[in-house]
Amino acid sequence: MTGRNDEAGRAPDAGPEERRGFLGKVSGLAMSIGLIGGYGAFGAVAARYLYPAKADPKSWFFVAVLREFEVGSSIAYRAPSGARINITRRGVGESLADFSALSSTCPHLGCQVHWEAVNERYFCPCHNGAFDHEGKAIAGPPAEAGQRLSTFPLKIEKGVLYIEVPTAELAQVELADEVPTGPGQDPCLFQRFPTREV
Amino acid sequence: MGVVSRWIQDRIPLDAGRLRELTNEPVPNHLKRWWFCLGGTPAYLFVIQIFTGIMLAFYYQPSPRTAYESVAYITDEAAFGWYLRSMHKWAATFMVAAVILHQMRVYFTGAYRKPRELNWMVGMLLLICTLTIGFTGYSLVYEQLSFWGASVGANIAESVPVVGPLVKNMMLAGESYNDRTLPRFFIMHAAILPIVMIVLLFIHITLIRIQGVTEFGATEEEKKKTFNFFPDHLYTEIIMGLSLMIILSALATVLPAEMGPRADPLTTPEVIKPEWFFYVMFRWLKLFSGTVAVISSGFIVFVMFLWPFIDGAIRKYTRAKEASVWIGILGVLAIIALTVWEASVAH
Repeated sequence: MTGRNDEAGRAPDAGPEERRGFLGKVSGLAMSIGLIGGYGAFGAVAARYLYPAKADPKSWFFVAVLREFEVGSSIAYRAPSGARINITRRGVGESLADFSALSSTCPHLGCQVHWEAVNERYFCPCHNGAFDHEGKAIAGPPAEAGQRLSTFPLKIEKGVLYIEVPTAELAQVELADEVPTGPGQDPCLFQRFPTREV
Repeated sequence: MGVVSRWIQDRIPLDAGRLRELTNEPVPNHLKRWWFCLGGTPAYLFVIQIFTGIMLAFYYQPSPRTAYESVAYITDEAAFGWYLRSMHKWAATFMVAAVILHQMRVYFTGAYRKPRELNWMVGMLLLICTLTIGFTGYSLVYEQLSFWGASVGANIAESVPVVGPLVKNMMLAGESYNDRTLPRFFIMHAAILPIVMIVLLFIHITLIRIQGVTEFGATEEEKKKTFNFFPDHLYTEIIMGLSLMIILSALATVLPAEMGPRADPLTTPEVIKPEWFFYVMFRWLKLFSGTVAVISSGFIVFVMFLWPFIDGAIRKYTRAKEASVWIGILGVLAIIALTVWEASVAH
C-alpha cells in the first residue's frame, strides 16, 4: 500500500487514513439509510395494516310495505349493529320525500336520543340536546354547533320501503330477542341471527 | 443542539464514553465468524415475533366462532395483513431452527461446561418455551391442523401418569375442546409464554455478561484475542438482522401463510401432521405406545436438561473425554432420521 502511494507521489501516511475515514463515513451513511429505509418501510406497512382496510360494508334491508305504514307513524328500526333508526312517514305520497330515516345517535357526543311526543322533539338526555322532527338541532350543544341527526338512505321498490345500513353485527342476540315480525322487521334479518335458547 | 444535549445531560448524566463503557465488553475473536451469530438470531427473531404478533392481535378474535374468520380477514382483507402474518409464520419457523442450531453449536463446542451449566439449563427452558409457543401459535388459526393438533397435544398430555388428566383439563379448560379452549391458548401464546421468555432471555444474557463468552482458539494467545462489541459486533448483528428481514420478506411474498380448511370437530383429516419441528415427537408417538412414548420423551428432555452435569460425571469418572460429541452426533442423526421419516410418509 505504502509503496503504491509513494509511486503515485502522494504523502505516504495521509492517503490510506483519509480513504479509511471517507469509506467509514460512506459505509456509516449507507448503513443508516438502509436501516431507516428498511425498518421505516416495515413501520409504514404496519401503520397501513392498522388502518381499516375498507369502509364498513352496507346493505339494503326491508323496512315496511307502504300500505301498512300509516302517515305520521314511526318505526323504531334496529340495524344489525344494534343502532336505532327512527323511520317516519311524513306524507301520504309514495315518494322518498314522504319518508325520513333519522339516526338516534346524537351528533354531539354519541348518546341515544328518544322521541318526546308531548314536546314533539327528539331529546338527548346526556347534555339536553333537542332536535325537531326533521332531525335539525333546536336546543342544547348540538343546536349551538348547528348539527343535525344523521340520515340513512331509503328506497322504494314495488310498494316496499328499504333502508341502507351497515351490516356489521354487534348486538345480534339482543336484536334477535327483540325482532318480531311486522313493519320495520326484516324476516330475513331475523333468520340471520341465532336466537337465544331459553 | 447544545442546549438540548445539556438539558438531557442534566437529567440523564450518561455520556457516550460511559455508555460505551457500560455496553462495551471485549468479544472473543472467534465471534467474527458468522455462525456465532446464532445466539443473537433467535433473539432478533423474537423481537420480530413480538412486533408482528402485536399487529396480528389487533384483529385476531380468540373464539371458535370467530378465530378462523378473523385470521382470514387478516390474510385476505386487512392491508398488508398477509405480509405480517406470513412474516410471523416464517420468523417462527426460523426461530425454532435458529434456537436448535444455537443449541447444537453450544453443545458441540462444549460451551455448556463449568461454569456455564446453569445457562445451558436456562437455554433448555427457552427451547421448550419456543416449541410450546410454536404449538400454541398454530392452534390459534382454528383450521383443521389447529384443532386436531390441540386435541392430539391434550391427549398426549393426558397419557402422562398421575397428573395427565389434570394437565389435559388445564390445557383445554375442560375435558374436551370447547369455547373456553382458544382464549386459553391465546393467553399462553401472546402473554404468558412471551413474558416467561423475556425473563429467561434476560437471565440468559446476564449470565453471558457475567461469565463472558466462551473463548476458543488453538493457542492461549489466540484465545486472548478480542475485538470491541461496539461497534464491530453490533454491526455484525445489524447486518444479520437486515439480511433476515430481506429473507423473511422474500419468503412471506413467495410462500405466504395460507388458510387450511376450517376446523371440523367431527372429521379428522385423512392426512394430518404437525409443524415440522414436532415431526420427531409425532414419529416417536407412532413408534411406541402412548404412555411409553410420552415418558421416554420426557426422560430424554430431562437428560438434555441435566446434560452439563452428566457430561461432567462422564469426563470425571471415565476416559471418554469427548463422549458428548459422539452422543451428540447420534442424537442429531436420530432427530434428522425421525424428521425425514415423518416428512416422507403420509402415515
